[in-house]
Amino acid sequence: MTLLRVERLGKAYLGVKAVDDVSFTVGPGEIAGLIGPNGSGKSTTIDCLSAFQRADAGRWHLGDVELTGRAPHAIARLGLTRTFQAIRCYETLSLVENLLCATEARRAVGWRDAFFATARLRAHDRSARARAAELLDLVGLARYADAPAGILSYGQRKLLALAGALMTEPKLILLDEPVAGVNPTMIRTIERAIARINAAGIALLIVEHNVEFIMALCSRVIVLDAGRLLAEGPPAIIREDPRVLEAYMGGAPEEAEAGLRA
Amino acid sequence: MRRVALAVGLVALYALPLAGPSEYWMTIAATACAFAVLSQGLNLVYGYGGLMSLAQVTFWGLGGYTSALLAKDLGWNPWATLPVAGAVAALAGVGVGYASLRLSRHSFAIVSLVAALLVQLVARDWQGLTRGPLGIPGLPALRIGAVVFDSATRFYWPMLTFALVALAVMWRVMRSRIGLMLLAIRQNEPLAGSHGIDALAHRLLAIGLSAVLSGIAGGMFVFLLTIVDPSILDFYYTESMLIMVIIGGPGSFWGVTLAAVAFTVVPELLRLTSELRMVLYGVVLVGAMIGLPAGIGGLIARRREKQWRARLA
Repeated sequence: MTLLRVERLGKAYLGVKAVDDVSFTVGPGEIAGLIGPNGSGKSTTIDCLSAFQRADAGRWHLGDVELTGRAPHAIARLGLTRTFQAIRCYETLSLVENLLCATEARRAVGWRDAFFATARLRAHDRSARARAAELLDLVGLARYADAPAGILSYGQRKLLALAGALMTEPKLILLDEPVAGVNPTMIRTIERAIARINAAGIALLIVEHNVEFIMALCSRVIVLDAGRLLAEGPPAIIREDPRVLEAYMGGAPEEAEAGLRA
Repeated sequence: MRRVALAVGLVALYALPLAGPSEYWMTIAATACAFAVLSQGLNLVYGYGGLMSLAQVTFWGLGGYTSALLAKDLGWNPWATLPVAGAVAALAGVGVGYASLRLSRHSFAIVSLVAALLVQLVARDWQGLTRGPLGIPGLPALRIGAVVFDSATRFYWPMLTFALVALAVMWRVMRSRIGLMLLAIRQNEPLAGSHGIDALAHRLLAIGLSAVLSGIAGGMFVFLLTIVDPSILDFYYTESMLIMVIIGGPGSFWGVTLAAVAFTVVPELLRLTSELRMVLYGVVLVGAMIGLPAGIGGLIARRREKQWRARLA
């Protein structure tokens, strides 16, 4: 039983293969980690899967639905959304409005409903606002609900991004470096938020440099090196895998092991 | 309170001709109505959609030429030409948008400029169709039964009515979920994509709506002028629309509406320097971009952030 099935994904820049013949799966409700040294193709993989970059080769399915070649918004509507490494939010909109925008993934109301403010729009608006309040509570931003997102700190914006991703009611969220550049307290907060998201049955694929963070959260880790799939397995096995240690530290297994454990 | 102010304002607007201003001033009033529609249309596309359009005046010119040709060459009733004028403008707008937005929002600015130049060229040089620089004179006036809107004083009423309807429609769109989606797309297109928002569809809607209303405004206006010629497409007007939106504040409905009226009336007061007008406008535009890079709307957004920071501190 798989949720996301990626087959032979490929992407090259001017002949340099950033992602080369990579295949893997993510199961329903699973938290999988995607790690690898700098330039190993992690972010490119996520960008291709969510259609922010055009893949040169390969196919990928979410459940039975093929996502290959679809636009980002279409993929989000089918249940796969993502967050970004560079934090993104709608700065002049309030936090609640930020989250309302994400309901577009469910296509609950059309333009006609919006223009005439039909009963359907008002009903949807009420339930969406209630859900937004719930999610802001979940990520601990409830007291900023009506403030413009521009006032949030870096870490708070990452939390808002998580809430936004949840608002699309996804089956799978791709997280691109959710704790890069975040202080240790905020890392704990984000970790807890991710665990709670997963407890609701949503699968996650996490790209992250913070190995400790990955090892703590993920039940399975996928390792890329120079664009190719290097290893795949439970964290405990991966951290002992000589190929992984070699890739991370370029030899000297003892040092590398220390690095992965640090 | 708001409703009362709105009602008083409406009565005052409709009663304006009864105060007995000259034909000259009534022409300016009718022009202000038309320009309010055009600049608000640009506000929808630029202030909400985040797309710099240099073809807003082109849509109005296309509408003007379409109405003129249908009325003059095919003998259509002037009213019947208006929907076609709107449709032609919308088709051009959506065409430019669809062709260019598949690349990026910057290519939209360039393609809209190319479209503007192209239409100017056709108006001036395709003499078989457009009569060239001399234009198409002798257009009939709009009429309802025995009422003929053949002076600016009379024409003002239908122009005002259309402008109010057009502004109300755009106000509604801006304040609705559609306006929120457009703002989201403008502020962060990739994020909007990950939230399932179809940026292309929303932007084409904004461009199409803006073009329809501008096209109809242009179609109506040529029946006041009784002539259409290439000067209707002049870049002076394009510059004016940009100034109205940038000074009024992109994304600010009332700011742009007021700026549209102000920047229709003020240049008339500055008639004495008609050669310098373009230069003055250019200086104003550059000054505004330096002083208020995000427009008045940006100033308000910054103040709102400051207040929230103070409250939460």
